[in-house]
Amino acid sequence: MSKSDHPQSSSRRAALKTLGAAGAAATLPLWARYTHAQTAAPIRIGFQKHATGIGAAYGRWYDRTSQAAVAKINGEGGINGRMIELVTEDDGTDPKRGAEVIEKFANQSKCDIAFGTLFSHVVIGSAPRAGELKLPYFVVSEGHHVASGMLNRWTLQPGITDVKSQVQAMAPFITDTLGKKVTMIYPDYGFGYDHRDNLVPAVQAAGGEIVAQIAIPPTETSFTKYFPQIPRETEVIYHVMVGPAVLTFVKEMGEFFGPSRPEIFGFIDSLEAVDLASPGLDFLEGTYFWEGMPRYLQADAPAYVTAYRDAVGIDANGASTSDPKDVSTAAHMFGCWETLHIIKAGMEAAGYSSTADRQALVEAVEAMTEMPAGAAHPQGDKLFNGRTHQVFGPQYISKVESGKLNVTHVAPIEDTLYPDEVDYTTQSF
Amino acid sequence: MRWLIHLSLLLSPGMAAAHASEQGFVLLLPTDLYIAGGVAAVALTVLLVAAVPDRAARRLFRPVPLWPAARRRRGGWPSLLSALWLWWLIWRGLSGSQDPTVNPLPLVIWTAVWLCLVIAQALVGDLWRALNPWTGLWARLGRPRPLQYPRALGHWPALLGLFAIAGFLLADPAPARPERLALAAGGYWALNMAGTLAFGPRWLLSAEALTVLMRAYSGLALPGRWRGRRAIGLSGWRHLARADPPMALALFMVAMLAAGSFDGLNETFWWLARLGVNPLEFPGRSAVVLPTLAGLALAWAGLAALFAASLHAGAILAEDARPTPGLLRAFAPTLLPIAFAYHFAHYLPAMLVEGQYLLLMLNDPAGTGANLLGLAGMQVTTGIFNSRDTVRVIWLTQAGAVVLGHVVAILMAHVRALAHFATPRQALLSQVPLALFMVLYTLFGLWLLAAPRGA
Repeated sequence: MSKSDHPQSSSRRAALKTLGAAGAAATLPLWARYTHAQTAAPIRIGFQKHATGIGAAYGRWYDRTSQAAVAKINGEGGINGRMIELVTEDDGTDPKRGAEVIEKFANQSKCDIAFGTLFSHVVIGSAPRAGELKLPYFVVSEGHHVASGMLNRWTLQPGITDVKSQVQAMAPFITDTLGKKVTMIYPDYGFGYDHRDNLVPAVQAAGGEIVAQIAIPPTETSFTKYFPQIPRETEVIYHVMVGPAVLTFVKEMGEFFGPSRPEIFGFIDSLEAVDLASPGLDFLEGTYFWEGMPRYLQADAPAYVTAYRDAVGIDANGASTSDPKDVSTAAHMFGCWETLHIIKAGMEAAGYSSTADRQALVEAVEAMTEMPAGAAHPQGDKLFNGRTHQVFGPQYISKVESGKLNVTHVAPIEDTLYPDEVDYTTQSF
Repeated sequence: MRWLIHLSLLLSPGMAAAHASEQGFVLLLPTDLYIAGGVAAVALTVLLVAAVPDRAARRLFRPVPLWPAARRRRGGWPSLLSALWLWWLIWRGLSGSQDPTVNPLPLVIWTAVWLCLVIAQALVGDLWRALNPWTGLWARLGRPRPLQYPRALGHWPALLGLFAIAGFLLADPAPARPERLALAAGGYWALNMAGTLAFGPRWLLSAEALTVLMRAYSGLALPGRWRGRRAIGLSGWRHLARADPPMALALFMVAMLAAGSFDGLNETFWWLARLGVNPLEFPGRSAVVLPTLAGLALAWAGLAALFAASLHAGAILAEDARPTPGLLRAFAPTLLPIAFAYHFAHYLPAMLVEGQYLLLMLNDPAGTGANLLGLAGMQVTTGIFNSRDTVRVIWLTQAGAVVLGHVVAILMAHVRALAHFATPRQALLSQVPLALFMVLYTLFGLWLLAAPRGA
């Protein structure tokens, strides 16, 4: 592990660079010092981090990925020659605190923009404040709340795809490859409903049929009584269980089916940051998962993917290079890397020089469309929709083989698109 | 979406926490069997104690005297350095990174002091006497004591202070946010400095919650002073050698266990269901401030009532007319080993993670790029929560601590009873309800460790 991987040291290094620039400026004549100081001052990006609360495991990896992206961008000259400085605030994975953090970025810590965060309720709690304060707010949340029109013109999600496009893109693969008769097992609340509401029409459109919907109460920790509800005709089980009991769910499903099971398809959200080689998860061998970005290094991975993984510090199994048991949140955290690169591209396109250019920045990002895969977009090609403020990209379907996830199908961007539900560009700033 | 996620965070003092899979693995462990084993061990202790001759029982807690102990004065340099360090930390809290995993203030206050120093107190003795941030400055200023501490106040201000600290820790939306903690710690320090300058160290010993708590825990340490000599004995001997605490201090001890028990209960699916909160989409601490405060108060009142009822029932069985308040004072210290065990068990996973952040901070305390401990580049890991083997070791360590705490508590209570009741038979009968209480509390503690958590 190199020193630059360390979150503290990289932000510190950025700060030291700034100090160095300030020292150099002191030798210049007064007028030059003024203009130089203007351009050399760092761009302050307020980073809303789940440092505490139920999102802390994600927050740690979002932080690590963001620090790595900032180190890379700064190493390549920053944004318009200015270094990025991440100003981290803990949102406690708490919507009310999220809004307070946004306010602090805008009013107290003089941030140029705000960036973060994962949990939907925090984004939904924070975005209205960002709108009122006219602070560009770049979220990495995966929720459909941006594209649904629920938020505002100052909130954008250009670095990670939303759940609606993810779920609907799974349907063709499920019905074409795994089977037409699908039973859904999902937790009985909002997260599960997102999957139900998007998958049912998508499977029907793809010529399949949902033969049963089994909603499981969130407080359940044993599942054996639900499995008999799975119809015999079921060819595919689609599961999106989450929570501490998810390992128990997998184990009990394995015990229920034994060796003869239907095809099984899940969302990696259930097992994000969990080692698939864990005892009890053997039953998942041969089953399929959606992944936002492959956790395991694929044989045909391009150089920019390995460069991204090395920069963040994850090994071929998607675990920390300093501890092979410390599995990352690989399916989501790439969004931080891509978002920071989009912020850079947007600021450079807008000629961003001060907070007076915030509106120009939002307009510059709204004008973006195609973002080719590469060092800035290691997850793959992207298509940004400026009207809905939402990005679209490829979706990965991986099969568990020898305790590892191997990509077997990549759903193309076309499969992930859906009609616009909002046009933020018609809203005033 | 991000309604998801598994995590089960053991909120340590509102700080970062454990991990997705730890809870998942705990749910896969045969915790029912472990719990049965733990409860059986405590129940067996009760039976054994009943069978042990009284003299042997008393001898259990008799310390072994060592060398003569030197007289100690309050107010040395370590305390003054603590104060200077605290001011620096407060300044860092206000001016440094607002990431609680990086800023030294929350790492020192919550991880180093609240998690680790409390544990050290209970194992090796009263380090706080030297390290508190008040007596050093007081001594430098000429040891003023212009006012007499009002006797009537007793330990009641400390009890109030304990509620304030526990309330802040458990219910405040952001107890680890550096700026907020800086104000809280600064205010707390100033208030108690003023009290110390007015009343001398007596203020700290009676009215300042942290010192009272630290002293209560240090009474569990193996080494101590006995008849002018250093001595060493079974955990709890120092409390048994002391006079019964006054009522406010006894209630303070009950509150220590109540706060420790509720900090844990408030994260369970069970508690969240009481609040009507979906444990898989915890709405954040902001949303549960009042229920948490109410729960804390209820836990204290409920525990005090249950404990008093057990003592009262014991006195009836023993046909002893002693009033319950006196019994509560006599037996409250026997709850301390349990409180300590809860503290250790609850915070063990958090210590394993926060300890890494603390080390990284100490490696570079001022954020200047220093590498004092040679840890530069170290990445914090939660990998220990990602395998069944390590999770099992952690869980059994926690459970072992809980069981051991109850065993020591039962032994202490038995010896206390022998001293308080006229005949050994009365002492034994008086302990039946209390023993039942402790066996059930073991069950509760182990259930708490195994229960799914969502906040």
